[in-house]
Order: sequence, then C-alpha cells, then structure tokens
Amino acid sequence: MEFRPRNYIAEQQSHALPRLRAQNHPLSAPSSPLLSQVAVADHGNNDFFDPLRRSDNNATVSKDDFQGHENTSSETSSQLPTKEWMSFKRFLMQRFPVSKMVSISSISNVIMKGAKAYDKSSTSMHLEELEDPEKYAEEGVKVITRQEYVSRLHELKDEINRSWRANDRVTSLKLSIKVARLLMDTSILQFYPTLFVLAMDIMDMLGDMVWERIMWKAEFAEDGTRLCSLPDNFQASDICSDAKETCNNWFCKIGSIRELLPRIYLELALLPCWRFLVDKPEDCVQRLVMMTRGLADPLASAYCRLYMAYCAQKLPSCDIGYLVKCVNDIKILVMRIISAKETTQGNITNNRRLLITLMEPTIEYIMKCIFKDASQRQVGNVLVELGLGMNQVELFGSFSCLSIVLHHLLKELPAEVVTSSAVEILHTIECSNDYSFDQCLNYRLLGFRLSERKSRRDIVHAVVDKVTQVMSERNSLDEYLKVVDAYVDIVLQNQMDNHLNTILGGISKRAYNKVVTEDELASLQSILVKLLTHFKVVENVFTLNHFLEILDIMYGSSQCIVNMHILNMATRNGSISDPTSIQLLFEISQNLHDDGDFLNMKDDDNQPARLISRFIHMVDYGTEMERHLAFLVECRGAFSSFNELKETLVHSSNCLAIKALKDAKKHLSFVKSCIAFSEVTLPSISAWVKQFYLYLETAEVALLCDLVSHSDGLIDSAINCLLSLDLMDGSRTSIDVEGILSAIQKLCSHLVMVPGNSEQGVTYFPNNILSLVNSRSWMTPRMRTRVFRTILTLTATLSQNKLPYHADHGEIPGNDLLFFGDSSYLRELVSFAEYVLQNLVDTVQQEPSQVTMPFTILLYKLTILDFTDMMLNKAARGRMALEACNCIASSFMEILTGHGSLISI
Amino acid sequence: MEPLEGKIIVKSSSSISHYGVRLTVNGSVNLQIRGGSAGIIESLYGVLKPISILNKSTEVRPSGKIGLGTTEIPFSMFLRQPGKDNLERFYETFHGANISAQYLVTVDIIRGYLHKTLSATVEFIIESDKDDLLERPVSPEMVIFYITQDTQRHPLLLELKSGGFRVTGKMSTQCSLSDPITGELTVEASAVPIYSIDIHLLRVESILLGEKIVTETSLIQSTQIADGDVCHNMTLPIYIILPRLLTCPTILAGPFSIEFKVSVVISFQSQLYKLHPKSDPTTPTLWTAMESLPLELVRTR
Repeated sequence: MEFRPRNYIAEQQSHALPRLRAQNHPLSAPSSPLLSQVAVADHGNNDFFDPLRRSDNNATVSKDDFQGHENTSSETSSQLPTKEWMSFKRFLMQRFPVSKMVSISSISNVIMKGAKAYDKSSTSMHLEELEDPEKYAEEGVKVITRQEYVSRLHELKDEINRSWRANDRVTSLKLSIKVARLLMDTSILQFYPTLFVLAMDIMDMLGDMVWERIMWKAEFAEDGTRLCSLPDNFQASDICSDAKETCNNWFCKIGSIRELLPRIYLELALLPCWRFLVDKPEDCVQRLVMMTRGLADPLASAYCRLYMAYCAQKLPSCDIGYLVKCVNDIKILVMRIISAKETTQGNITNNRRLLITLMEPTIEYIMKCIFKDASQRQVGNVLVELGLGMNQVELFGSFSCLSIVLHHLLKELPAEVVTSSAVEILHTIECSNDYSFDQCLNYRLLGFRLSERKSRRDIVHAVVDKVTQVMSERNSLDEYLKVVDAYVDIVLQNQMDNHLNTILGGISKRAYNKVVTEDELASLQSILVKLLTHFKVVENVFTLNHFLEILDIMYGSSQCIVNMHILNMATRNGSISDPTSIQLLFEISQNLHDDGDFLNMKDDDNQPARLISRFIHMVDYGTEMERHLAFLVECRGAFSSFNELKETLVHSSNCLAIKALKDAKKHLSFVKSCIAFSEVTLPSISAWVKQFYLYLETAEVALLCDLVSHSDGLIDSAINCLLSLDLMDGSRTSIDVEGILSAIQKLCSHLVMVPGNSEQGVTYFPNNILSLVNSRSWMTPRMRTRVFRTILTLTATLSQNKLPYHADHGEIPGNDLLFFGDSSYLRELVSFAEYVLQNLVDTVQQEPSQVTMPFTILLYKLTILDFTDMMLNKAARGRMALEACNCIASSFMEILTGHGSLISI
Repeated sequence: MEPLEGKIIVKSSSSISHYGVRLTVNGSVNLQIRGGSAGIIESLYGVLKPISILNKSTEVRPSGKIGLGTTEIPFSMFLRQPGKDNLERFYETFHGANISAQYLVTVDIIRGYLHKTLSATVEFIIESDKDDLLERPVSPEMVIFYITQDTQRHPLLLELKSGGFRVTGKMSTQCSLSDPITGELTVEASAVPIYSIDIHLLRVESILLGEKIVTETSLIQSTQIADGDVCHNMTLPIYIILPRLLTCPTILAGPFSIEFKVSVVISFQSQLYKLHPKSDPTTPTLWTAMESLPLELVRTR
C-alpha cells in the first residue's frame, strides 16, 4: 500500500474560487426604494399601534354601531375617560388595604340587616336612624369581615339592578340612597377608599340607568315607536315634556333626601340628566360645590369632591373653576386638621396623618383634572385662584401653600411653567412647611420636574444654589439623598462641578459612621448610577471626591448594581491600563464576587461573572507582562467560584505568552510561567469542551514557543480529557456527538504540526486516539468510522513530502523536514494506516445491511483506483462505506485486495 | 281652563240597557279638626261642613243600550264656562292633615228601578289655570336672618348661652312651586361644635271655628344643609326642592288658610342629645337654636 502524494499548494490554487472585486458592499444600505417601503410600513403601523388613534377609531365605530340602538345614550353618558377612572379606582383600593374586620356603626344597618331592611319604607328607616344613632353604640360595636361587607355591597348592587329591570325603580332608588348613606360613616378610616369605590360603582350604575331611561323616553313614544334621534349635543328644548317630567321627578325624589351627603352623591350620579332640563348644567356643579361645604367630615367631603370631579367630566363642557374651588375647600379642611388642638377631637387627632394620607388621592385626582388640558392662561388663573400668584404675570408670589396641595400642583403643572418660574416655586416650597406633606419631597419633585426639559442656565443655577444651601442645613441622610437625587441630573448636565463636590461631600458627611438604611441605599444607588451614566470614562468618576467613600458605605444588591455599572462602563472603551483603576476595579469585582446573591445563578445569566471576565480580558499592563501575569494569578485566587472566569484567565495568559514571544526572544522563562499558569488553571474548568479546546490552544501556544515537551504534555491532557468523558453521565445528545467529533478532528489537524517523537513513535498520538475510540463503548459505528477516516487522513498527510501547514514561527521543524525521506518513518505510517484501515473496514461491516441500492459512484471511483477485485452487488451500508472509500481513495495510491471487502458491501 | 277629558270604559258579559249615562264632577274643601291647637271640645265636633267648590252633572249618553264586551265612551267637559265670570274659586288639589281640597268625577249608568245604578268614581287633580296665574315674576327678595344665643326664646344649654354662636343667612320668602327655595347660610361663630343644620319645611293649616282659629302645623320635609361642625365663615347654599304632593299655593280663604314656613334649626353637639333621642325635630330643645321664616308659595307659569 502506498500513500497518494499530494501537492497542497497546487490543489488550493486549482480549487479556490476566482476572486472578483465587488461593486457594492453586500451589507451596505440598500438604495431608496427599500427605504421608502420602510417608511410606508411605518405609516401603516401607526394605525394599529398608536393607542390614541386606535381608541378614537373605536369610538367612532361604536357610535356608528349604536345608530338605531336603544342604548346610544348610555354610550354617550359613559364616554368620559372611563379607563383612567378605572385605574384610579384600582389604585385607591390597593393603596389603602383594609384590615380584615370592619366595625359597623348605626348608619350601615342596611349592611347588617340584609334583605329584611327593604320592607321598611325609606321614611321609617330614616326616622329610625335619626332617632337612635347611638343604639348600636350602646349594644357594642358590631364587627363583620371586610369580605362580608364587600359582598353585601355587591349583593346590593345586584338587587338595585334587578329591581330596576323589574320596573321597580323606586326600590332601586331607595337602595341606592342607602348605599350613599354608607359613605357618611368615616369611622374606619382605611376602609373608606374601598367603600367609596364600591359605592361609586353603584352610583354610576344608577346614573347610567336613569340616563338611559330618560333618553328612551325622549326618543321613543310609549308604544315603542321612535319619535326622534337626539344628537350628542342635544339641547333641553329638544326634549319632550314627558321625558322632562320624568327627569324632574327624579330630581324631586333626590331632593327629598334629608341627609346632605347622600343627597349630593345621588345628584352627582344623575348630574348628566340635568342636560334634559337645562342648557347649562354646569351651574348645578357650582351649587354642588357649595353644598359640599356643608360636609364637615374632612374625609367624606374630600371624597365627595373627588366624585364630583369625576362626574362633572360627563357634562359636555365644564369650566375648571369649580375644581379650583374644590381644591381650595379641601385645603381649608386640611388646614383645620393640622391646626386642630390635640385635645379637642380625639378621634381625628390620633389619626391626623393617616387622614391626610387618605385625602391625598382626592387632591391628586382633582389636580390632574384641572391641568388635563389647561392653557397657559388658564394655568395662570388657576394659580391666582389657588392663592399662589398675585396676577397673571407673577405666578408665584411669596405666599405659602399647603405643602400637600403644592406637591400635587407641582406634579401637574405644565413643564414650561415649572421651568420659567422655578425660582419662585422654590421660594413657595420654602415657605410651605407643614406636616401635611414632607417638604423634602417637594424639593425633590421640583428637581425632577426641572430636569424634564432644558431650562435657562441662570434659573437652574439659582435653584441649585438655593437647594444645596437649604439642604446643607438638614442632617438627615435620607432627606438629603432624596432631594439630591432629583438634582444630580441637572447638576451634571450643566457642569456644575462645585455643586457635585458639595453634594458628594454632603452625602459622605451624613453617612459617616452610620448604618445606611434600605431607602437610603436605593437613593444612593440612583444617584451613583446617574453619575456613572453621565461620565464617559470611569477614571473620571474615580477621581471625584468622596465617590469611593460613598461606594464603600453601600452594601447588598444596591452596591452590586452600582459595581456592575462601573465595570460595564470600564470595559466599554478598549483596554484598561491604568494601574490604580485596575486595582480599584479589581476590588470592585472582588466585592461583586463575594456577594452571595450571584453565585447561585446559572452561568448564562451571570452578568457579574461576564462583566468581571470582560474586565480581566480588557486589562492591559503594556510591557509589564510579569505584572500582568501576577494580576492573573491574583484573579484566579480571588474569583474562584466563577467558572467562566478561568477560561478568560487561560486565554489571557496564552495571549500574554504570545505577546511575549512576539516581543523578543528573551522571555522564554516568562512564557514558560504563562504556560505553567495555564496548565495549573486548566484542570479546574469543569466543562469538558472548553477544557479540551483550551488544552489544545495552550498546546498550540507551547508549540509556537518551542516548548515541545509542554505541548506534548498538553496534548496528552487533551486526550485524557476526552477519555474522562464517559465517566460523566451517559445521556449524551447528538449535538454532543458532533462536538466530540469536531474536537477530535481539531486535535488531528493540530497533530499535523506536531513533530513526531522518535522515542514514543511517530504515531503515538494517533494511536492514543485510536485506542480511545476503540475502548469507548458509547461510540457508535458511525462515529468510529468518522474518527478512523480522520486518522487516516492525518497519516496520509503526515506522509507527504511537504506538509500543508507548519507551526507559525517555523522554529519547530514539521515532520516533513524531520523525517524527509526516512523510510522507517514511512513504513511506520503505512503499517499504522493499514491497521486503521482494517479497523475501519471492520466497523463498516459491523453495520447491518439494510438498504439496497447500487453505488455507481463508488464503482466509478473504484475503477479509477484500478480496483479489480470488487464484487459490488448490493451496497447497504450506504453513505458510511461511501465516505470511507472516499477517504481511502484520497489517501492511497492503491489498495490491497484485502480491502475489497469494503467495496463488496 | 282645559276641559276635563277621558273615557268611560264598560266591560260587560251581557248587554246593558240604561236610562242614560251621567257624569258628575264634584269639588269640595273638607275641613277636619284634629290635634293641633284645637282643644278636646273642638275635636269632638269632628268634621266641619265641607265647602263646596263645584258640583256639575251632564248626560254623556242618552238612554239606550250598551252592547256586550268592552265599550268606550269618550267625554269632554268644561268645568267652568269660558268667558263667564265664575264666582267660586278653584282651589288646587291638596291633601293636608286637616284640610283637603279634592275633586272627584263620578259616572253613573242608571238602569231603571229594578237594577242598581252602576257607578264609578275617580279623583282628578286641579292645578291653577295658567291664564289665571300672576303675571308678575316671583319676587327675588330675600329675607336676612341671624341666629344667636340672644334670639332664642327657649332655654339653652349653659355653654351655648355663655360661649355664644352666630349664624347668619338669607332666604327667599316667596317661592314658585316649581322652583327650589334658595338662600345661603354662614356659620360665623360657635363655641360649641355644630352637630347639624337642617331646614324644616312646615305647613300651617288654619280653620276658622266659630270665633276661634284652629291651627295645625306639620313638618313636611327636612333638609340637612350642614353635617357636622362645618368651617366657619364659609357660605353654605340653601337649596330645597319642594315636595310636589305636599305643597300647594299659599291660600288665605275666609274659613280656612294654608300657609307655609321654613325654620332653620341648628343642633349643637351635646351629651343630652343621647338622652332624649326621640324628640320632635320642630320642638325647641336645650341644644338647638332655630329661626322660622314665613314662606309664600305661588304657582307660576
């Protein structure tokens, strides 16, 4: 048998595709037609994704749909921003979760008595309540669960609905009044918002039903024929007298309710119905605002105004003046709460703060309504009305304002007003310091509002000056952080470096010798992250005064997040060569590593590990390579629990070795230590694929550096690594198989460069691989044939007079030079090749024949090979045999007849 | 005045022969003395002779026969001849405690001597004729009132007397039945926290009995305008929709009169309230202050 001689250079030339210069870069932007197409697509998308436009479309569609339906009216009456209201209701319920038990006072006997109560007429009920409100108090407070209360209300709602459907509208009204009466009881403060939301649902339902009914009366005759179809903007004069009469009756019934609160609520529920009677229903809103002043209970009256703000939106046009009045009235109530003497009203004083918190959403919602689409001029008017401005020009005078009102005002003010009168607002905040709201939070809010848009430099400076001055007098770290957090962005954007210094100094002064709380940590984190995002280069951040001190006082996940930001930033632009930065980053990485949270994560999600390895990768000591290696050693010690890191370490040390090699010749000992470092690090890598490839990589490096014995040792280790494979679990997927095969192939291609060791024999490594393949039971015949083919190709290559490639540096002679013309070398190769071939043929034959198909291609190949002794009848082992033959054909000149059996398959 | 219109519906399983179908309208004011300022002796007199307003009868169908099944006989009748000077006054329908003005229409089917006359009666409501109503608008005049510890004619709690209070306001005294009573009220000062402020609407029915006038005052509606200790110096609106069936235009007739009053009642927070829970809201108590104002109700177009 003889190897086929090959000329690799000639082959490459003949097989290579002709190269042509391309006109365009294949990835460059396509010409205009495609662009315009994209634009068109975008435009089309708008119709589907713009939520505003979509809802608008829906609205028109639904209106069209309702043409000819009875309930056009209900649609009209509930067209207002229901969604917003829904979410607000949810927010209310969630914000004030209720304890399980609710004690019930007298007014709520509709809840306690259940169905029996309905038999009594409303007057007798009312008298009863009037007469003995204390009856229940004497009997002791009754307690029911919150769930019972809620479900009772739901039952009531159903009941109202049912009686309405049964044309028993009087009962519906009576029950609704009872529900509204429940709102008079504010004794369980936290429950009130929930109660409010539930009762509101019922009120709304009643309002809608009445609206629908009157609308029906206005549009249809008694016998059901349509008289007219009212437009959305109908006038009172369009309504027939019958419908008006009915509507009037409803208001009369409501007017006869004695108690103020339920009377107001029901009128609000029916507010849109005023449109049937008068052309300017807005006047009713004005009156209702005034009537609400008669409710002395701050909570009840604040929520009543909330409902008013909501209901008034159902009217076609409504001035915002009434809302401003509402806010002013609530303001008076809150002032009263604040100024109340400790002893006068026991119940209220105990819960003052809670009370104000409970009232807050009402202020928030009304403020939102005021500024929803207020023009600049209106804003001015509102501010004047709220007692904040002298006139349209001086929007904020030196008036104080209730801080809770100020807060929500500031939240809703248009950004341009905030930026233009920031200094005045600041002054107002300064003047407004009461305990209805934390003053600091107002300072903070101003900061956030200011950073929303670019404002004039002088204003910004004045504000920041003032705020830092004010805050310098506060000793609480929490307050300081909260306020400063809001201004960091402004300070950074306007390059107010001195302020930045003051701020950082202030933080570290206040945090000194103090355990930082969770809240403070969160603020700190936010501040530091803002700093980090602002600066481009991490070194600039490190040089900031107090930055590192502040970083030191942090702990836990906040610190981790900041650390990760720093690392991310540091590894963003090129290499890191400054030793101090490296040291700092190393410490930061160490902190990150030592934090337990990240250790349990899977490798894939382990961002800290990725960041650290990226950092290690980026470190560059330049010519101080020993120092670099020392750094790697240090890293290995420090980050022992991150697996991924070890790879990076090996890569880095290999890189280092190559760098040293390129640098000069003198670094042999250094290169050795690099390789030694890799060798030591490698065994602790758990993933075998990675380990194997790293072994190979290191072997390659060693080879390049003339360290043949190291290289051999590493190749041994690589093969051992494959050997140890089956010690692991047996479930190996096909992907794994491919992986193993390609690993072996890679190994073989590496072996081409490795000079044969005359002591161990030139076929030492191929032999090892062969025995590895033969000894492993999990190797399928298919895998084996492929490995055998690889080895065959390897031996054939090794037999050539000129190898296809050599170790790059050329210092190590390849086998072609080493054994040129050595017949014993060739013999050894041939005998080994025969042995492999035999193995190959055996393996192929082990595969049972299954498919019958003629192999003309094979036949053709064999003819070329001058292979006479073939008895090809049925080739069953298909591809396997074909591929084997292919390999053989390319490797050998002629094939001994014995191997004809392969062809005869 | 609009004619009285309607139809008589006869449902019968057999045909009815009759001597005519007659329609009779009857209007009267019934006076009854019961409680109020009347003494026991007066109460014994019981019902006074009713004052007749109207008694009219017409034949809507001459004698004949009504077939079996459902028969509808429409009718239309002027209660008062247009153009003719009618002396009797048509009071609006009203049902009070002692006085009631009622209008009834009765249909009779006369069926000879052997058979009982078939008859049915139904009440109908009279409201003042639009043409008769006052041309002048309701006076927008408001009466100003103020309530302090010194305006009260009944004993007050010591702390109320010493601490003092002052509630001022104004209210319309002439009011159209279709409009609400309007006004406003301000608590200017109060040493004792306020529990509630209510406006009571009262009806005063008076009957001339011999030389004596028997008066009955009844509470027909109370409306709360302040619940709890409201903020001082804040104006609260008074807005009271009049209950439709319990009110009528103020009447000052010879033998009887129907008048209205409003009273503003301020109740103060007091422990005593718990001890006397069942008291009549119109009776003055130690912890309430009140002020009554006359109210003239008119029917307007």
